[in-house]
Amino acid sequence: MEKNELIEKINEVLAEEFEIEVSDITPEGDIKDTLQLDSLSLVDMVALIESEFGVKIKGTEVGQIKNFAALYDFVYSNQK
Amino acid sequence: MPNQPLLTGEAIYRLIPQRPPIVMVDTFFSADETDAETGLHIHADNIFCQADTLQEPGLIEHVAQSAAAFAGYAPYTRGEAPKLGFIGEVKKFKIVRLPHCGEFLHTHLHVMGEAGGVTLIAAEVQVEGETLATCQMKIFIQEGE
Repeated sequence: MEKNELIEKINEVLAEEFEIEVSDITPEGDIKDTLQLDSLSLVDMVALIESEFGVKIKGTEVGQIKNFAALYDFVYSNQK
Repeated sequence: MPNQPLLTGEAIYRLIPQRPPIVMVDTFFSADETDAETGLHIHADNIFCQADTLQEPGLIEHVAQSAAAFAGYAPYTRGEAPKLGFIGEVKKFKIVRLPHCGEFLHTHLHVMGEAGGVTLIAAEVQVEGETLATCQMKIFIQEGE
């Protein structure tokens, strides 16, 4: 999947799952703040990315993915 | 279904902290990094049974203890005590029908993701291949003392 297409798809599935508008998501936006994730719901995003894109985010990696740009890069570089 | 369970009966106590009469897993079939299978014979004296039927709390408790046994199996193979775990959330719990006394629950668990010490598990409870219930459960495993 091309990166622009991937970004569009990631934004779409995150917006639907976490009940926000796609327009609320910006590359520099903080993921936890934008998606209103707490310590229990962060795993929902990890599971969603794996189920939709086949990309596993390990526990040690998730803390390094702070904003959406980092998430796009991670999924793009690890997609099969 | 795997032919030979890894653990049955009181051997399950090595994986979970519960003791009779509230033990809701009596068979541990298999486990790897992402999946596990457990089972439970529903006896008429099960404390969650009413009118010959296992009630909803019994199903939830079975899934929770199955997840606990899954989490406890890896430490068990290393000769360590099971770690204390907590249910953070139960969601998308769907019951097709409640099982009856005399039936055997066969439950498949799959790790959907892990983050921040929380593991999201999907569970499917079957009786002879018939799906009775599905749910997702978040488990927090306490590391250390």
